[in-house]
Parts: sequence; C-alpha cells; structure tokens
Amino acid sequence: MKYLIVGATSGLGRELAYTFAEKKNNLVLAARDDRDLQAIKSDLSLKFRVEIKTISIDFSDIEEINNKILYDKEVHKNLNGVLFPIGFMVDKDNLLLDLKTIQNIIFANYASTNYLISKFFELFKNQEFTIVGFGSVSGLLGRNVNINYAAAKRALESFFESLAFQNKKKNFLIQFYTLGYLDTNLSFGKKLNLPKGNVKKISEIVYKNRNRKFLKRFYPFYWRIVSLLIKVIPFNLILSIKNLISKN
Amino acid sequence: MNINGLEKTKTFSFDRSHSAKVLFKRPDKFREIEDLSKHNRTLINTGSNLSYSPLGFYKDSISVKLKKFNRIIDFNLKKKEITVESGITLSQLLNFTLLYDLWIPQLPGYPFITIGGAIASDAHGKSCALHGTIKNSIKEMTIFHIKNGWLSLSEKENKEIYNLTIGGIGLTGTIVNVTLKLEEFKNKNFITYKTKVNSVNECISEITKKSKEKDSFVYSWNMAENLKSLGKGFVFQNKINDDNVENFKFIPEEKKNKFLPFLPIWNKLTLKTANWIFYYLNNSSNHFQEDDFTSVIFPFYGKEAYFKFFGKKGFYESQLLISENTIEDFFDEFKFIYKKFNPTISLFSVKNMRGTQEFLRFEGNKICVTFDFINNKKNILFMSELDKICVKLKIIPSIIKDSRLSKKIVEQCYPEYSRFRDLINNYDKKRIYKSEISQRLEI
Repeated sequence: MKYLIVGATSGLGRELAYTFAEKKNNLVLAARDDRDLQAIKSDLSLKFRVEIKTISIDFSDIEEINNKILYDKEVHKNLNGVLFPIGFMVDKDNLLLDLKTIQNIIFANYASTNYLISKFFELFKNQEFTIVGFGSVSGLLGRNVNINYAAAKRALESFFESLAFQNKKKNFLIQFYTLGYLDTNLSFGKKLNLPKGNVKKISEIVYKNRNRKFLKRFYPFYWRIVSLLIKVIPFNLILSIKNLISKN
Repeated sequence: MNINGLEKTKTFSFDRSHSAKVLFKRPDKFREIEDLSKHNRTLINTGSNLSYSPLGFYKDSISVKLKKFNRIIDFNLKKKEITVESGITLSQLLNFTLLYDLWIPQLPGYPFITIGGAIASDAHGKSCALHGTIKNSIKEMTIFHIKNGWLSLSEKENKEIYNLTIGGIGLTGTIVNVTLKLEEFKNKNFITYKTKVNSVNECISEITKKSKEKDSFVYSWNMAENLKSLGKGFVFQNKINDDNVENFKFIPEEKKNKFLPFLPIWNKLTLKTANWIFYYLNNSSNHFQEDDFTSVIFPFYGKEAYFKFFGKKGFYESQLLISENTIEDFFDEFKFIYKKFNPTISLFSVKNMRGTQEFLRFEGNKICVTFDFINNKKNILFMSELDKICVKLKIIPSIIKDSRLSKKIVEQCYPEYSRFRDLINNYDKKRIYKSEISQRLEI
C-alpha cells in the first residue's frame, strides 16, 4: 500500500509517517523543507525498509501543488490514500491581517486540501481510496487568536461532511478527525486546562480506521463533550459568559 | 510558561547538586534550530540531562533539547559507518546497529544517554581500557552555531573546532549529526568472571593484569565503609560468551522505575548493610555467571533506586585519573584524610583507562578511580581535601562527574585548561553558549 502524507515533517504528520511505515506502507511525504524530508526519508527507509518519495512543496502555492503532486505520475502510481495533517499558522492572526496573509492561511488550511481532493476524486474514481482530514477544536467557536486559521478549519470540516454526501455510492473512504491540543511542538510549553492528546495514539487510531467508509471523530475524546455543549448553549449566552470572564 | 515555544521547567543535574528554572526549546525542524537566534539569549545544548554535573542548563540560557533529532541519516554496511542525529539515544542506536552485528564500544552505563551528550562529554564505558573514549569512534560531525552557522567538522575539516567539540561540554554550538565508525560485534552475550580481592593494591594489580586480556571489560567493586575494609571487594571481568548464540534482545528504550520517589535511605548504617549483603552474595555465588548485553553494558539500567536513595539532596561523584606511578601515594594520602574526616562513601570502583589527555577531556593511560559520596558537609570537606591531593599528585578529576569542582582546581589539574578557554573565546567571541559548568569554571 502507498499513502501520501501532506505536512509530514513535524507533529502529527511525522508520527503518521512512522506509524504507516512501521506497518510496511510505502509513502509519499510532502512538506516545505527538504532537509527535514530527507532526514525522515532516510530514517524510515533504513528502519522499516519501505519506499519513500519526498516532495518539497509550499502548500500555499497552487502552481507547486499542480506541478509536484497532480502532474507527477510517480506520486499517484499505486496510491491508496492521502492524509492531510497540515496546519499553517501565522503570528498575530487577528482582524487586522492583510489580504495576502488571509489568502495564504485559507489556501493552505482549506482551499489546497479541497482542491487536491476534488482532483483525486477524478483520478481515483475507479479504486478504493482513503482520504483523511484533520480539523481543529479551534474551529468550534469564534475566537480572539488564530481567527482565520480557525475559520479555515471550520470550513474544512464542512467540506468533509459534503464529501461524505457526495460519496454515497463511490469507493472513497473518508475520515475526519477534529483534534484538540496534542503533545507536539505546537503545544510545547503551553499550560493547558485539559490534558494534551498523545500523538502516537491518534496515529494508531488513524491507521486502524483507514479503511472505514466514513468516520468523524474527536481526539482527545473529551472535546466531543465540549463541542456538544457549544452547540447546545445559545451563542449569546456563551458571549455573555466570555465577556463576564474577561471583565473579571 | 510559554514564550514562543519555550517551556520553563525546574531542572536538576543528575547528582541533584544544582537546580535552576530553565527555558527549554525542543526544535523538530532544521529551520527551528536556525531560528534560535531570534530569542536573543545565551544557549546551551542538552541531551537527556543525565550528566552528573550541570552541563545542559544555566539559569540565563535556553536549553536546546534535540530529542526530535533522533534519526538515522545514513548507514553504510560495507564501510561500517552510520550517520545519526545527535538526539538519538544509545539504545535507539544500538537496537539498529546490533541487527547488523555492529556497535560502538565506548558506551556510558545508561541506555538513554544521547549520542550528542556522549560526544560533548567525551564519554567512556566499561571497556575504556581497550577502546578509550567515544572520540575514537567519531568520523565527522555537523554542528550549528548561532554566529558561525553550519559547520562540518572532522580531522580534515575545521579540525580545531572538531577537537574542541569532543568533550567540549556543548560550548562550540549544537551538534546536529555525527558519523560514527562502527566495529564488528557478533555475539551479544557475556560471561562475567569475578575475583575476590582484599586490598586496594591487590585490586589494582588484578585489574592491570586482566585489562591486558583481549575483548574483556574489567572493573571493580570495592568497599570503603572503613579503613580496615578499604579495597576489599571483587574484580569483575566481562568476556564475550561464544557458547551462547541466543538472539539479541532489544535494549529498552523507556525508563524503568519512572516514578520511584527520592528517599533519603543511604547513610553509614544502610550503606554498610547493603555493601556487606552484596559482598556475601557475591562471595557465596559462582565465580562466573552468564549476563545479557543490557546488564553488562548498561549496568545502571534497572538500578535507578541506588541514585534515588540519596534523597532529594542527591550525591557527589568523584572520578579521578591517576597514573600508575602515583597510585600508591594517592591511596596513602587518601587514607590519611579518611582517618580525619571519616567520609560516607557509597561506591568505590577502579578500572583502567586508555587515551591521550587534551583540553578538558577525561582521558589518559591511567587508572580511573571512582567514589560516590552522600551530599553532606563532612563529605564536601573530605572532597576538598581530595582536590588538594589531585593538585599535588597531578591527578585529573572529571569535570563531567564532579559538579563541585572549582576553576582553581580545574586550572591546576588540567594542563590545557587555559588553551581550551582561549580557543573557545576566540571561536565564540560573544560567548553565546553558556552552561552552569562553563560559568563555574570561567570558560
């Protein structure tokens, strides 16, 4: 089996690469920095004796996506699935952000995934093909920081739901995970109210579920409860509580 | 506390003599290593923070932890060479190389020490009489220095910085990857022979004799609870067991006894009891036994309780390199101050060492003597007297093991102290890389 992992050099992407390689899957790893990619490639191929292809790519650049992924037949040859553990954040992602940066955030976190999946829908319509997306709990509710990132992640969730509707009679296996804080470098040093999720564990879960027709899950699980509460409580009430906390 | 991916944590040296609230950075991308300059602070590198002496932290420095840089970059079976990132632990490295019957023999006694840490401290293991220190297994390295950038180091390229980096206590920059020369190692099981000795002199002559034998690791365990029994104990000799071709068992990659609390159990009485039990158990058992790889090469694995039983105050270790000519004089003087201070020594061990001393490296064709002390006033006074003997007899004390050594003592014991300091200051003019030890020794 062969899978494409987009954003494979750190955090969850890196762990997914190790989990899938350990189970003897060949991989195509895509990420920005070729030095990181080469280090992972050599480690995986030496330890697990699997074939690794690397793509050094800027995921906010449509030309690069076309040239390095869509037009490269070596990438899709015998490909069985694609995973998008990709996240692009910038400092000071707030209401005052310039349009170019907003576009980059939306493109990298939402539109590029959307675009690639729509192309893969065509390319792999005659075979069973796994598509795994990763949202974020930051998309559950509007917020003060990373606002465009959160909006893109909420859009991505909606897109995956639509994908499931579209896919009723097709052979695509679609899974979407909404992730809370994981014990990766993104959360390193952060004091959080809820415990961080184990990145190794979620990788194993993703691997185990890779053949499910449709799956939508929270990880760590307690974010499901938080999500339900957010859906049940009227937004005005949430806003009032938030304002009250801020005043105090 | 979070400042741009930094974590503030109270951290201790392994002997618990030093602690500080330290900012840690854990890069997982090359770009993040290069971005360290953005923090505009002094830096120091840390491996698994298992050094007895505080090599990996300083209150004002960011500790750079390369835990995520633990990958195998290249492996050439024909040439017997491997390139690894410096955050790889000894167990992770060996679990790969031993599958190909290859290893590096200079292995300090705990499997979770990182290769980067072992290089920065020029570590040695039980086989130091045969194989010297890890320096002998290094072919080349790549380091990153905030001001000097990426540097390839080897005997042929940037030789001076290469030499400063090995045993350079992390002051030349961040070791990112290293190419190691591997040696063949077919059978991974051992037979341990033991010989009873009744005195220090007997122990040293037995070790000297046995260390000359091929492929054997020789060291001793001796008692030091009083002058009467000083040196009484056993000389152990690990030899490869050619009759046992059992498959190699993977070396654990996770700590045992993770949650064992610090309990101040060791004192004169409990140490005496524990030592005599150990002595009688060894005395009454066979003079040889079969051992597996982990128990021989990593003797401290699974025995973490020994260190925890010093309590929260911890302990001090003194490791000394003494020439054959002065070893008798040393023990005469040692006995003299022992009478005066009656120290509480929890461990006394001897082995032979091979190498050439340079810079601050703990190397030489000498006898290596180790003592562990409970951390109390009397023992600290005793150790100060020991320092004076070191200066007098030109003995080299390990700066990696003994976290209380002063600049004055190190300057007098290490002939190349000033040369090391000057070269470091010349290479890193702004002295960006600083640790507690570099500050204490005024490097």
